[in-house]
This record gives sequence, C-alpha cells and structure tokens, in this order.
Amino acid sequence: MGFYKFLLSRAITFVLVVFIGITTVFFVPRFLPSDPVEAMIGRMTSKSAFMEPGAVESMRKTLNESFGLQGTIVQQYFGFIKRVVFTHDFGPSLANYPTPVNELIGRALPWTMGLLLISTLISWLIGNAIGLLSGFRKEKAYSKVLEAISIALYPIPYYIFALILIMLFAYIIPIFPLSANFMGKGFSWEHIKSLLVNSALPALSIILVGTGWWVISMKTLSSGIAEEDYVHFARLKGLKERKIMTKYVLPNAALPQVTMLALQLGSIFNGALITEYLFGYPGIGTLIFGAILQSDYNLIMGTITISIIAVAGATFIIDFLYPFLDPRVRYK
Amino acid sequence: MRKKQGFISLVLALMLLMSACSEEASNTQEPASTDSDKPTASAAATAANTVGGGKMTDVGTPRNQTLIVDILSGKTADPDLVNPYVPGAVPMDAGFHQLIFSSLWEINTEKGEQIPDLAATFPEPLDNTNTKFKFKLQEGLAWSDGVEFTADDVVYTSDMIIKTKELGYSGYYASLVKSMKALDKYTIEVETVNPETRLAQKLGVVIWGTAFRVMPKHIWEKEDPTKFKFKDPVGLGPYTLKSRDPQGNWFLYEKRKDWQKSDIGKIVGEPGAQYILFKFFGPEEKRIIASIQHEMDILQDITPESWDVLRQKNKTALAWYENFPYADMNDPCERGMSFNASKAPYNNEDVRWAMALMTDIKNVSLATFGGMLRVSPIQLPPISVLQEKYHKPMVGWLKDFQLSDGYKPFDESYATDMVEMLKQQGIKGLPTDTKEAVNTFGVGWYKYDPAQAGKLLEKAGFKKQGDKWLKPDGTPWKVTINAPANFEVQSMRLAFAVADSWKKNGIDANVQQMDGATFWDSESTGAFEVGSYWPACGLLPDSTANFQGWHKQYIVDNGKQAPGNRNRWANDKVSSLIDELAGMQSSDPKVISHITEINKEFVKGMPFIPMFGTSKFVPVDTYYWTGFQTSKNAFEGPWWWWSQFKYYTPHFKPTGK
Repeated sequence: MGFYKFLLSRAITFVLVVFIGITTVFFVPRFLPSDPVEAMIGRMTSKSAFMEPGAVESMRKTLNESFGLQGTIVQQYFGFIKRVVFTHDFGPSLANYPTPVNELIGRALPWTMGLLLISTLISWLIGNAIGLLSGFRKEKAYSKVLEAISIALYPIPYYIFALILIMLFAYIIPIFPLSANFMGKGFSWEHIKSLLVNSALPALSIILVGTGWWVISMKTLSSGIAEEDYVHFARLKGLKERKIMTKYVLPNAALPQVTMLALQLGSIFNGALITEYLFGYPGIGTLIFGAILQSDYNLIMGTITISIIAVAGATFIIDFLYPFLDPRVRYK
Repeated sequence: MRKKQGFISLVLALMLLMSACSEEASNTQEPASTDSDKPTASAAATAANTVGGGKMTDVGTPRNQTLIVDILSGKTADPDLVNPYVPGAVPMDAGFHQLIFSSLWEINTEKGEQIPDLAATFPEPLDNTNTKFKFKLQEGLAWSDGVEFTADDVVYTSDMIIKTKELGYSGYYASLVKSMKALDKYTIEVETVNPETRLAQKLGVVIWGTAFRVMPKHIWEKEDPTKFKFKDPVGLGPYTLKSRDPQGNWFLYEKRKDWQKSDIGKIVGEPGAQYILFKFFGPEEKRIIASIQHEMDILQDITPESWDVLRQKNKTALAWYENFPYADMNDPCERGMSFNASKAPYNNEDVRWAMALMTDIKNVSLATFGGMLRVSPIQLPPISVLQEKYHKPMVGWLKDFQLSDGYKPFDESYATDMVEMLKQQGIKGLPTDTKEAVNTFGVGWYKYDPAQAGKLLEKAGFKKQGDKWLKPDGTPWKVTINAPANFEVQSMRLAFAVADSWKKNGIDANVQQMDGATFWDSESTGAFEVGSYWPACGLLPDSTANFQGWHKQYIVDNGKQAPGNRNRWANDKVSSLIDELAGMQSSDPKVISHITEINKEFVKGMPFIPMFGTSKFVPVDTYYWTGFQTSKNAFEGPWWWWSQFKYYTPHFKPTGK
C-alpha cells in the first residue's frame, strides 16, 4: 500500500509540474517586448516595396486572425490548453505559417535524439568508467593523467570545443565537411556514410566535454566509497580488487550518476542549441533558436512543452525506479 | 588505434540508427521535380564523372558547372513551403525570386529605373481619372512546365489574392487593385481602388523584390491558396528547382532546357551556369572558410574584418572596388539615429540638432566600418543615382542652411578629410581628386562642434554639471539607443560608435541590443528614444513611396502599432508636399523639386540623423566563375539576394577549372 501511495504522490507531482510548466510557457513569450505579427510585418516591409499604412493595418489584422492571436489572453490560454491536452496540437508555426508546429518538431526531434542520446550515453559510459578507475585506483599514474585530462576538458564550453573542431578538421585538416549535408536515403550506404561524416564533429564536441564532467563526478563518488569500512573489510577478506571495484564500489557510486543521466536524457529535448547552430545540424536546438528570434509563440510553446514533459517524465521514472535500485529508500 | 576506430564506428553507427529512423532522412535528396524525364542530381553527377571526372559538389553536380551562392536569410525550417503568398514561406532570397518567380516590372539599380519584365509595357492610363490602365505582356513566354504564359495567369493571380483574405498580402492588394481583366491574350486592363499614378512601382520591383508574383493558373486553380505548399514550383524564370535539402540548408536549381521561353532568355540571353546552388553554410566564420576553400562563389554581406581575412587567404576573391573601400555603397537604405519625436527631450529639434553636432562623424565612420562608408546629410541614401539627383544639387542649399541662431552646420570637407585620415593610416588606393573623393565618401556632413551643440542644449534648458549634461528638470541626461543584436551589423556597430561620441560630450548614452522581433516591435510601438534604425530608403529618383509613411495622418500614440511615421514627427509642409506628390506622374519634373523640398524640411527638423549609406561587403570568388559585376563592370548592383539576380545569370562564365 505504501508503494502505491508513494507512486500516487509522485504522479500528482508530475501532473502539477507539467501543468505549471506549460502555463508558464504560454504566458512568458506573451510578456516579451515583441510581437510575431509585428516582426513579420517588419520583415516584409523592410524588404519589399512601400505599403500604404492602411494596407499594413489590414495585413496586421489578417495575420492576427490567421495566427489565432485575436481574443483576450485568457481566451487564448484556454484554447491552447484545450488543444494541447485533447488534441496534442500546438497549432501552426507563426514564423513558418501554415506549417504545423508538430510537423516541424517531428522533423527535428529524431536528429536531436540521434545526436544527443548517443553522445550523452557514450560520454556517460566512458566518463564513469574512467572516473571509477581514477577514484578507486587514485595512486596509479594513469589515473592521475586521466583525471588531469578531464579537469582540462570539463571547463571548456562545448561551443568553443565545436569551433576548435571546425577549425581543425574542416579548415586546417579538411577531412570533415564545413556544414552538415545529409545525402541519400534510409539505410543506403550513401546515407550511412553521410550521417557518419556529418555527425562526427558535433558528437565529438559533446562527448569530449560531457565525459570530463562524468569523470570528475564519478571520481569524487568512488574515491569516497573506496574509503568506506565495508570496502576495507572486503579487502581484508581477500577479495580481488576488480571484484571490490565492480561489486562494492560501482553499485553505490552509480546511483547518483543514474539519476543525473536520467535528467540529462530528459533535457536532450532542448537540443544542443549552439552545437546544432554551429554545425548546421537540423535538430530541436536550431528550431528553438529560430523560434525565439522570431517570437514564434506556438513553436516556443511546442518545443518547451515537450522538454518539460520529458524532464518531468524522467524525474517521475527515476522516482519510480529508485526504490528498486536502492533498498534504503524502498517504501519510505 | 584500431580499437579506437572500431569504437568510434560503433558510436556513429548507433547515431545513424537513431537518425535513420527519421522520416526526413528517408526523404533526403529527393528530387523536387515530378518530371521523371529529368535526371536526378546523382545521375548528373554520374554523367559528369563519366565525361570529365572533374570535382563534384556535395549535392552531386559538377563543380565547374555549378555556381554556389550564399543564402542571406539562412536556413529554413520548412523547405517545402514555397507558396510565396503564405507568411511563412521559404525566404524568397534562397533562390526562388532570383531564379524561378518573376515580376511584371523589375528595376535596373544602376540606372535607377524600372524595366518591363513579364510586362512588355508600362501601365498606360485609359482616361484622366488615373484609375484605369492597360498594359501589354511579353509574348512567347512559357511556364517551366511548358504551358504558355498569358494574361489569364495575371488575372487569375490578381483575383486569387483579392478573394483570399487569409493571405497576408490580400489586405494591401485589395486596397490597391479593384479588378484586372484580360482584354486579349496579352493585354490586361487594371482598375484601381483610388487614383494611382505609380502602379508599376506598387506592383513591380523597386528595391528587393515585390509581393505581387504571377502564379500559373493551370496549377493554382486546382488548389487552396492558403494551404498549397507549391512544393514543386513552376515559374517563368530561367531555372527550375532540381532538388533541395530536407533540412533547409540548400536549394539546387537547374537551367531550363527551354530557357529561351523564360523572361531572362527573352530579355537578356542564355544563363551561363547549368546549375546554381544556393547554400547556407552557417555562421560567418564558416562562410569565410567556404570561400577560402573555393566552396562558395558568391558571399552575401560579411564584415570588413572578414573581408580582410578573405582577401589575404583567397587570391581569387574579388570585392566591388579593387581597392579601398572595397564594399559596394549603393544599398538603398541609409543608416543613422532615429528619434521618437513625441518624447521629451527629443521632441525639441534643437536637442536633435545638438546630438547631430556632438557626433564626430569621421571617427564614427572609422569605428563602424574602418572608414568604408559614404556619408549622407539628407533623408535619401547616397547611392550613385540619388547622389546625382539630390545630394550634389543640394550642396549649395546645405552650405547656406542656418540653424535658428544663424549657425551654418554643413561641412563640405568630409570626403577630402577622410582621404587624409585614411592616408595617415597607411591605406593605399584612395581617391586622388576631390570629385572622386566625393563620389566615394559623399558630399559632406555636419560639423563636429560640441560648443555649438552646448549652446543649443542650453537654449533648450539643459545645464552642464562638470562634464555631464543635466536635463531641464535637473536629472542626468541618459540616452538608450536601440540597436539590432544579431543582424544588420552596420547598424549595430554604428550605435556603439555614436554612443561613444555622445558619451565623450557629456551624454550618458547606452546601447540596447535587441533581437529582430523586439527591435522592430519597439520601433513601431514607439518604445524607443533613439534607435539605430533606417527609415530612409530609395533607389528611384521618384522616391515618393518612401516618404508617404511620414505623413502626419499616420501618427498614433506611443504604445500603439504605428501604421507609418514611426518617429511620430509631425510636419505640415512635409504632409502637404506628400499629398501633392500623390497626384503627380513619376515623370513630372515637379517630383524631384517636391522631394528636394521635403528633404530640406527633414534637415531643418532632423527627426532622423542620416549618417551613412549602407556599405555591403559582397565578395565573389573568381576561381570557378567569371562575369561578376564590379565597380568597373557595373551592369547591376551586386544585390545577390534581390530578384534582379536573374539578370546577372547570362554574364556568368566558367573558368574551365
């Protein structure tokens, strides 16, 4: 019964977080000192011939109607909640009108997932492996070297790393393309090759910096656990070092790392904005960047709502799984 | 090492699996055309390899047959949305209005005059009411799918826009055109809503392009114009869309087999490039690298610093001028400081003039673009055509012009002074005579005279405390200049340079950088004191259209979206001159004199401090292609993102590399 109560409380928290999140996402863009209709008219009138002010007014009216921005903000809000909850529809993108937001997100999401999910998992695996080794065997020379590399990599912002990689491997030694260009179809060799070549640099920029962070955090956790009494006791019992590391230290050090991983996986729905922009990668980050610049309310709401649901969902799943992973919190 | 390679391969393979699941991935490089007879890009690549085995582009076309052009507007989120009448269409300057769509009338930017394109003649009034006109269309043109172009297409487009209220352009168009009808296959009669003396300007191109683009009736009449994507666009330009990047980074165009039946084929001749690839490479650093590596032939709008790097690293790169100032200076919107004239203390023309006299324009020019700017003292950009029509003829008046206290602010020596300043910096290739210097740097500007500025401020009630100015109410004078944050680099830099000049003279000036949406919104709602805007555009000697919005009838309260006159500056004489201009034909000599009078009013009132014409660094790489226009070979301005690009295409020739 205790477990179900625990689950119910977490489910209610999840729903509340999502509701408050999407409500905030609805209102915040509307408090910005910008207007999508005005932005579009400004863009049009700055490039094309002069329009009589009366005609501009008429265009403004038409665009407001088309974008569904007429009515009070409260009416717009209830319309938005109704659409999102019942039809999962975020309406048309204002900057790419009349293309639906869902279509734009649907196009971008697999690319972001492909890049960030794999990069995050790889950096997590490599970082934790190195961190465990350097924390458990901190007296070894290789541990010190690996730790030093990680400390050097970690503070570098990933976009600086991205620029360095571009300069190195697209200009000085031009073995990778300057801008992403995905050729071919499905599982053809042309497409596979194009994906490998075009994803290598953005992935590397995320993996290298991400790995540094995981090494540092895992090293801190594992070196602390390595000093615990039960680890000393295991040594006194004559267990092999490898077994102590994998069976005694790793499971305990991994718990917070799993939590962090889940949260990071949830946040991949935000995209790697600058990396995607720099490499011309067609993901959610690029989409959000454009949406904010153009005050595309619907697209901002669509992308951020998905991100909120993903992060809240990840937290909910972690909460759900934690009792199974850690007996100390079971049924508390 | 081998293990590492294996690991990296595994990682990337996993990445591939994720991305390959995307529906988009499965559509990549799908030819846009539905014409199965046309070869795909891959087929073209194979053919080229078989024939010459030369270098290929990354979209599979022979490099020596492909002209690669930068996309100024960048990446597009929905590259399938080509319907130009819906607000979110692919930016037209991704090649669509340069190569596929055509207008009734185009513009020759060098001569500053409109020219017929799809139309064969200009609108001819049918009576003396200026509400009924007729014009002829070009004969012998065909849509890119082979169907003949006739008056029915133009009439259909007109009717479609008027009837479809959901199209953003509909409101404007319906307020201009009452109806169009085909008198015969090539003759159209137009009835306007109000008397109209500039119909060709309203429906044709005067600067960048036009919203009125003729669509093929035989395709559009079967579709809902509000939802139709027009994914496979059919046009009257000399190229067709061959393929596109589903991610929106590039569009590949191929020369029409029947290019003789396109507007350019008929008016100019055969385009030189078999393929034209419009491609977005990303941030400026990547665009420069692409040009250094000969991966891009035409660059659009870079900074002077990037041009410095490029000319050192790429010996085949070419700018508009061979020497300083390198940049083309004929962009039609000049830059300066715009005032919200409804807000104190900027509602006082003495204050506005004081700020002009506190601007050290030579140093501002150096700080903004290294001195590569042409100065403008009036409300019209200092492009060559308008310099001859307005700037030079107004020098006499400007020299005599006096402020209220009799002070003469104009300084004719700007151009020669700039030449001397730049010489001292070791710049080579500067103009050697005064006439050339004026043509390069402008006819002159206003004196840098903080003492005179101080007199004007004191007259307005300001007081100086130490080295800072206090407003008439005794509070410190703080000015915020709105500036674009991520676009229009010249305006952004100008704001900082001007703020620096004002700060040195006791005004606490700060620059507020804003993204595009916020920047424009602030201007239109009057949420600014001073802005680095550009409300002074023009290319044609008849710049009436660019002044109409300044009529006092368009002034609204701050907080409301202004339909025009965003500076909220009311001037009775300007409004009355605008009213008179509305009834004149463009060819009427009074047009020039009226606009000159309007310019005088702007100088007196200074609601916008005009500073510089816009300099654009638009270099080209002559490694694979020749025939680009330069200052020595100017058949058009180098406005690669404008619709006139199609007129350049017959001039491009491969170098044979």
